Amino acid sequence: MTPIFEAIGVNRTFTLRRGGKVSRIRAVQDVSLQLDRGEIVGLVGESGSGKTTLSRIMIGIERADSGEIRYQGRAVEPKKGFAALRREVQYVFQDPYNALCPTMRIGDALAEPLIIHRIAGRAERKQRVERMLSMVGLHADIARRLPRQLSGGQRQRVNLARALMLEPKVLICDEIVSGLDVSVQAQVLQLLLGLQQELDLSMLFISHDLRVIKYLSQRVYVMYRGQVVEQGATEKVFSAPSHSYTQKLLHAIPGREYPVPAGAQGRSENAGGTG
Amino acid sequence: MSDSPKPVLEVENLSVRFPSQRGEVAVVDGLSFQLRAGESLVIAGESGSGKSMACRTLLGITPDSSRVDADRLDWKGQGLLALDRAGWNALRGAEIAMIFQDPAAALNPLITVETLISDAIRQHRGGTRAEVRARTIEALSRAGFPEPEFRMKAFPGELSGGLRQRVAIALALSCEPSLIIADEATTNLDVSIQAQIVELLRFLQADLGLALIFVTHDLGLAREIGGDLMVMYAGQAVEYGRVPEVLEDPCHPYTRGLLRSAPTMASDRNTPLQPIPGTAPRPGEAAGGAPFRARCPVAMERLCERENPGWTRVSDTHRVACHRFAAEGRGGVQ
Ligand SMILES: Nc1ncnc2c1ncn2[C@@H]1O[C@H](COP(=O)(O)OP(=O)(O)OP(=O)(O)O)[C@@H](O)[C@H]1O
Ligand SMILES: Nc1ncnc2c1ncn2[C@@H]1O[C@H](COP(=O)(O)OP(=O)(O)OP(=O)(O)O)[C@@H](O)[C@H]1O
Ligand SMILES: [Mg+2]
Ligand SMILES: [Mg+2]
Repeated sequence: MTPIFEAIGVNRTFTLRRGGKVSRIRAVQDVSLQLDRGEIVGLVGESGSGKTTLSRIMIGIERADSGEIRYQGRAVEPKKGFAALRREVQYVFQDPYNALCPTMRIGDALAEPLIIHRIAGRAERKQRVERMLSMVGLHADIARRLPRQLSGGQRQRVNLARALMLEPKVLICDEIVSGLDVSVQAQVLQLLLGLQQELDLSMLFISHDLRVIKYLSQRVYVMYRGQVVEQGATEKVFSAPSHSYTQKLLHAIPGREYPVPAGAQGRSENAGGTG
Repeated sequence: MSDSPKPVLEVENLSVRFPSQRGEVAVVDGLSFQLRAGESLVIAGESGSGKSMACRTLLGITPDSSRVDADRLDWKGQGLLALDRAGWNALRGAEIAMIFQDPAAALNPLITVETLISDAIRQHRGGTRAEVRARTIEALSRAGFPEPEFRMKAFPGELSGGLRQRVAIALALSCEPSLIIADEATTNLDVSIQAQIVELLRFLQADLGLALIFVTHDLGLAREIGGDLMVMYAGQAVEYGRVPEVLEDPCHPYTRGLLRSAPTMASDRNTPLQPIPGTAPRPGEAAGGAPFRARCPVAMERLCERENPGWTRVSDTHRVACHRFAAEGRGGVQ
């Protein structure tokens, strides 16, 4: 099967020039990554290892020095090619604060992609916005607010909602659940799994939380200093990590040596359903 | 412990209100807590429950449209609510520093990392050029910022999310404050660097008597930080106790629901996670009764509708605000 979205041999070096000194940061080194249709792929790695840079290259907002991005088997041309993908490939930024226009109300920000792509009339837009807000656990009231009037986790969910408005085929999520309480996080993870099944959505999911990656993704890539150092089925990589950095990560999961709280697990009867 | 010293931070009945279409609503509603030098308070809870807003009152940086009230909001015996601009300026950064959930807010995109941190050090601690430079490098390397001598010349836009977060941590540490408020300060860091930061904070607590407020959604990380844990829901504290007590013997239905929905390395998609059904109330909506009542599996019909539950004692160091627990004990909230 042809992967739906693919990076092949991507390289990117940043050059810093300060006070006569020049230094090169090899942010991404010969990285290849595949995303199959309907698959959720996890991307973990050291902070500063090139995860965001790679994903920005994949959607064409960062230049690669060399390498190729393919969508449905075809190479994506710089600029023009990426512009054509803008609807089908959505990206949720790591930094929820800068991603939203500060003077635009949330409702308008969510409706904007529908307007740009001429989907749905005014009344239906409003409905879709409200439905999407409730899918990410927010009240319709939020639509009237400005970004600065929201908490961190509320903003993070608005960004996700915005990316989902156009029912994309590929979704790249850069650290989107770290600012959510674990109950809302569980809700968002269930939502993403549901979309994967219903819409055959493919997802590249970047996170530092290995528990989330383990839960969500079928395959995982581990990056370290700009390179992919390990990849494979999540189950396998996490149960028998081969690279020392992966081992170190698995060892440092906070709270791992403490038992699961007694009262917290079990209780399979679902209090009141999901209503 | 023998007779403990006086708390450095004393908060009684703190609230933050905003005007809204439904009149004035409280997003922080009657919080009380204390903190001694060298101790830590972990705040966890629902997204939007007022954690960041409560922290902001301690620096006097709530939005202009907000109204802050408290019976007491004292730092080392001094009332914070009465401070003027000069008073706040002397305190902020030097005595109390905050690592913001939003590192972009603390980092001016047009200023290099070096200028940012050395300006703060110069302003609060002074020193010669060489001393300031040395302290800047030291603060950065303590926060795990790689190759500080060279990379501190970078602008925030040239750094990864986690590197920016480490700059924000270094900035907070740079002036050796007595209280650090870390609001989701390690969420963008991989777990091994996270562990290094936690280690550093512990060292500063033990060695310099740093008081710490640590806001996090990661209950495993809460275990690593230790101290007291305050669980918030809809602007209110619903459970309070030593971290292991609350996590091993959760007594509030919200805390229990939260713990149930957390993924662990043992969970996988074949056993779906169990989020708490329903949506958090809008600000003000939960006022009057028990804040969690609309989603609570064990709510008491009349009582929880009408009366806000006061604290019920679980142990000397552990308390819970729940009518059901007050009436029936642990059996009632199982
Ligand atoms: N515009 C830029 N100019 C110079 N260096 C950059 C630029 N953008 C990124 N870098 C550097 O490239 C490296 C990779 O950054 P990237 O943001 O991809 O890391 P990351 O894996 O996403 O890290 P994190 O987990 O901290 O978000 C880092 O050292 C970063 O500082
Ligand atoms: N300027 C504002 N005007 C009105 N309401 C606001 C404003 N800023 C924040 N709020 C509301 O106040 C409540 C508390 O926000 P706060 O940022 O303290 O939440 P939080 O507990 O830190 O959440 P998170 O975990 O998502 O960061 C939220 O419901 C938020 O929408
Ligand atoms: Mg990143
Ligand atoms: Mg917050």
